[in-house]
Amino acid sequence: MIAQEQKPMEEILGYLDGKQKVVVMGCGGCATFYGTGDKKAVNDMAEKLTKEGKSVTKIILPLGISACEIDMSAAYLVKNRTALENSDALLMMSCGDGVQVVTEYTDETMGITKEVIPANDALGLVGGGPTKFKETCQSCGMCELGKTAGICPLTACGKGLMNGPCGGVREDDKCEVDPDKDCAWVKIYKRMEKLGDIKRFEQINDPHQWSKAKRPRLFEIEKEVNPVAMMLGSLPAYLPLLGRPKIEEK
Amino acid sequence: MGDEVYSDLMRELKEGEYVFTGELEPEKAGNVNEPIRMAKELKGLVVACNVTDNPQSFAYVNSMAASYKIQEEAGMECVYQLRCADRNRMALLSDVLGAGTLGLKNILALAGDHVSLGDTPDAKPVFDLDSTTLIKMIRTVVDEGKDLGGNEIEDPPKLHVGGAAAPGAAHLKAEVAKVRRKIKAGVEYLQTQVVYYTDVLDKFFDELGNVDTPVLVGIFPARTFGQADFFDKFVAGVDVPPDYLEAMRKTKEIKDKEKRKEEVDRVNVEFFTGFLEHLKGTPAAGCHMMAVGYPRIIPELKKIME
Ligand code: SF4
Ligand code: SF4
Repeated sequence: MIAQEQKPMEEILGYLDGKQKVVVMGCGGCATFYGTGDKKAVNDMAEKLTKEGKSVTKIILPLGISACEIDMSAAYLVKNRTALENSDALLMMSCGDGVQVVTEYTDETMGITKEVIPANDALGLVGGGPTKFKETCQSCGMCELGKTAGICPLTACGKGLMNGPCGGVREDDKCEVDPDKDCAWVKIYKRMEKLGDIKRFEQINDPHQWSKAKRPRLFEIEKEVNPVAMMLGSLPAYLPLLGRPKIEEK
Repeated sequence: MGDEVYSDLMRELKEGEYVFTGELEPEKAGNVNEPIRMAKELKGLVVACNVTDNPQSFAYVNSMAASYKIQEEAGMECVYQLRCADRNRMALLSDVLGAGTLGLKNILALAGDHVSLGDTPDAKPVFDLDSTTLIKMIRTVVDEGKDLGGNEIEDPPKLHVGGAAAPGAAHLKAEVAKVRRKIKAGVEYLQTQVVYYTDVLDKFFDELGNVDTPVLVGIFPARTFGQADFFDKFVAGVDVPPDYLEAMRKTKEIKDKEKRKEEVDRVNVEFFTGFLEHLKGTPAAGCHMMAVGYPRIIPELKKIME
């Protein structure tokens, strides 16, 4: 998921200076998990903006409807066409993807060009939960995990080294760059040790192929999916969630 | 390792002489007058001097430019330190070719400290290659006349590549396994991070086992208490012994400059006598004396090794 946090209110208000009618749109994907674009976040934001004298229209996306998945979110934009047309600005409570996908759709498909303002700062692709998350993958386009016992050195190593550890590992196997973090390469070593394959640690890894991450990346899948049918069709598959284990967070 | 010998450092290592190298630090300045002055003082005492590349990620005079000027003006052979922290693989290759063009004969390939630890913390860290892949690239350039993409290099540079090792690493097994990777990559000599404890050194050599690659052990006789304290506090992977640190701290109390100098020298000679005596019995091929700005101590310490 894309971790995110809300920008300071002063920054948001700075962007909205002179804009009276504001559409506030949330996101039912990552932003809902991080509390930066769920129903409550949108309501709280609307309340604050109303107090500042703005007139606000809310677009709340339910869980599972991501702003960045335009096939789903477009329905909510179209439903609010009039409010969008009459607004001075659109405040997006999502990551930067959601902001830009929605902007492109309103501009190019709906023919509505409005000032768009991000309410959140996106902080990277992270995993974990329910309250603690960690960046473990940067979507580099050429996964190296098969060489590194399942721990990503590009992301988990402070220097992104393909051949570590560097000379700076601290006491307790912490990272030179940040004593609060574990050295990724010592973790890789220990995991290979547990896998009984420590000789693999002496193999030289080639430099990473950054050409696979030439930006911006465009991506196409062969088969169109129908997310609505998928969601409804898989309802029974959600049953295990009723007995989900309690996660002990470290 | 190829059989070719391009530098005095490599000649001494191959001939099995006990090798001494020194260290020079370019400054944040528009010249390298001070390192040149130091290099002149070190002539005859060490076979070559490392020229640091933005140590601790403080940005100083480019180490290639500094190495060239020092070789030209002081006649001191240089070990040009080159770190991956600030350059991508293209820039590294250009620099290796540049070093050859300027007549530099030794490179020390380093990953480098993270930029966030230095005086320009907002810089974008690069680390496109790491020390191992930089070593491998340099060997391919020199031995095969090819770059990383397999492109031909006309008249490839003739130089040797060394690497670093950290005997004091918190996780020694992982560190040594990484050093083995450097050896596989073709590193021609190793210079260690500063060591103060003989047991740290012994554990390192035990873990490393028998290798053909010569190892120069790094020592750091501090010129002032401040230098020793900085090393203890800020240099990754180095622990300065409290007794030595305390003896150095006391030298600060001596008002008379000459007397203070004498006392600093005495503290260093006293501390390093035991260490260097011990060093003689290890597989070390020599000693890398990082006595930055402190050339007068080197003859004293060399005496112990005789
Ligand atoms: S190598 Fe790391 S960044 Fe790249 S895809 Fe794999 S986990 Fe993600
Ligand atoms: S200490 Fe470990 S994780 Fe940190 S930069 Fe060095 S090798 Fe990478």
